[in-house]
Amino acid sequence: MIRLSRGANAVLLSIAAFVLVVLYGPLLVAVFFSFFTFENNAVNWGSFSFDAYASLAHDEGIITAVLNTFLVGAVAVSIALVLGTALAFHYNGSRSRFRELLQLVIFLPFLMPPIITGLSLLVFFREADIPRSLITVIIGHAVFVLALVYRIILNRLQTLPSSLVAASLDLGASRWQTFRYVLAPALMPAIGSAAILAFALSFDETLITLLVTGTSSTLPMRLWAMMRMGFSPDINALVALILIGSTMLALLAMRFVGAPARR
Amino acid sequence: MSLRAGIDVAELDEGRRARSYRIATTALAYLIPGVFILLPLILFLVQSFYYVDHGKEVHELTLRNYVRFFNDAAFVPVFLRTCILCLAVAVIAVAFAYPVAYLLASIEGRRKYVFALAFVIPLMMSYIIKIYAIRAILGSNGFLNRILLALGIIDAPLTFLIFNLQAVALTLAILLLPFAILPIFIALERIPRNVLDASADLGASAWQTFRRVIWPLSLQGTVVAATFTFVLALGDFVTPQMVGGTSGMTFGRIIYSQFGFAFNWPFGAALSVVLLALVLVALAITGLVTRRHPS
Repeated sequence: MIRLSRGANAVLLSIAAFVLVVLYGPLLVAVFFSFFTFENNAVNWGSFSFDAYASLAHDEGIITAVLNTFLVGAVAVSIALVLGTALAFHYNGSRSRFRELLQLVIFLPFLMPPIITGLSLLVFFREADIPRSLITVIIGHAVFVLALVYRIILNRLQTLPSSLVAASLDLGASRWQTFRYVLAPALMPAIGSAAILAFALSFDETLITLLVTGTSSTLPMRLWAMMRMGFSPDINALVALILIGSTMLALLAMRFVGAPARR
Repeated sequence: MSLRAGIDVAELDEGRRARSYRIATTALAYLIPGVFILLPLILFLVQSFYYVDHGKEVHELTLRNYVRFFNDAAFVPVFLRTCILCLAVAVIAVAFAYPVAYLLASIEGRRKYVFALAFVIPLMMSYIIKIYAIRAILGSNGFLNRILLALGIIDAPLTFLIFNLQAVALTLAILLLPFAILPIFIALERIPRNVLDASADLGASAWQTFRRVIWPLSLQGTVVAATFTFVLALGDFVTPQMVGGTSGMTFGRIIYSQFGFAFNWPFGAALSVVLLALVLVALAITGLVTRRHPS
């Protein structure tokens, strides 16, 4: 563990405090102005209201966008979980030289800049005559989160003792029973944390979505369209709600995964 | 789905059925990533060798998009400017991330992970909302200007805060800072305690211990942090679009516009390949540096 002198500690503390202000300040300001308004260059403290939140409930466009976002997230994550689990089992069981290559391909959408992933899917959809819609968005998200899901599940799979499967088979269980009663329960925590993290990524995905989306859009797309027109208390209210949602999701994911670098 | 977790179950099966089963699952395992990841990339690469003539795409392999990129006076300067911008973002992010990571690593016990979490949580918060929030502060009608006006420090709103390259660099640095903190924190965390004790026992001052022991051992994580931020900044086109204005043109935005207004997909694809080449060069340099300084 690194030790600090009192002076160095004070300097580092002030830098860290500044960074926290920069990271959280803008968001808190946005939340603040979902309740209050500005008048004559000063905050009108009497203007406190939930009006902005109430008007959100009547905004058809936003409600549709929220539903689309959940739909895309749920379907894309489900696809990625099934595929990621299957691919993790394949990698773990295979001794083929090509398995490393396959793994690299799975990681590519995560390693490359999202603009490349998005544009190559865009070209692919055009060549395959698939019109841009929510389905193309789902495919884009599934491809993007697959790497993460695959990696988390493979990590868990590789730490499982091989005697587990051997014992199950020795005791007369079929392959399916071994999977259902031995491996699946052992993998469940990994699958759970992979699902939450993948959903959080999908919920916020902007760059790939922007390139492959059709007319119906997800929440980030809707926000992007709204923000181009300017600021309004409505956007601030939406911002506040999304922040609460994503922070809860983040904390949930952290609980599942454990502190980031805990060893 | 094959279930050979750790042991070779194949031996337990009767020969031929197991083999055809294995071939089938292998084919399936390669099929989906092949079709939805590799094939699109190959099509995209091929696209970059096509060209557009009188608004129509000509499916004929040429190098003219690449020639155009290097010869047209409009593109290379933006490319270089974007490189410098992203380098600046990486430098700013690392300059602030290193002290934060250092402080975190000096905290005793489990508490350090709780504090680290506070710096990582913003990563999970909506990306587009963070850009919006920063814009709401820096804009000419924004929070900062209103405060300064109200306090009587300025008479007219400051306009240089937003819609230029500096605003893009600042916003990207704020967005990417958590990505820079993590690898440095992990590198500092890995330094064994006895190495630091040995340095102190041998009479090194705190500064000497930092300069000769901690810094070299954390260099790998620092380089990884810089590469992370550089590569992520390079591929972004939404941030420059939202806070860059007309003077904040970046390479990512030019690529995006080829698929939008300009509608020249082959040229856009070629520009993306150039971008990807730069990313690969950055990763290769990182690989070289980190191999030379293994920690």
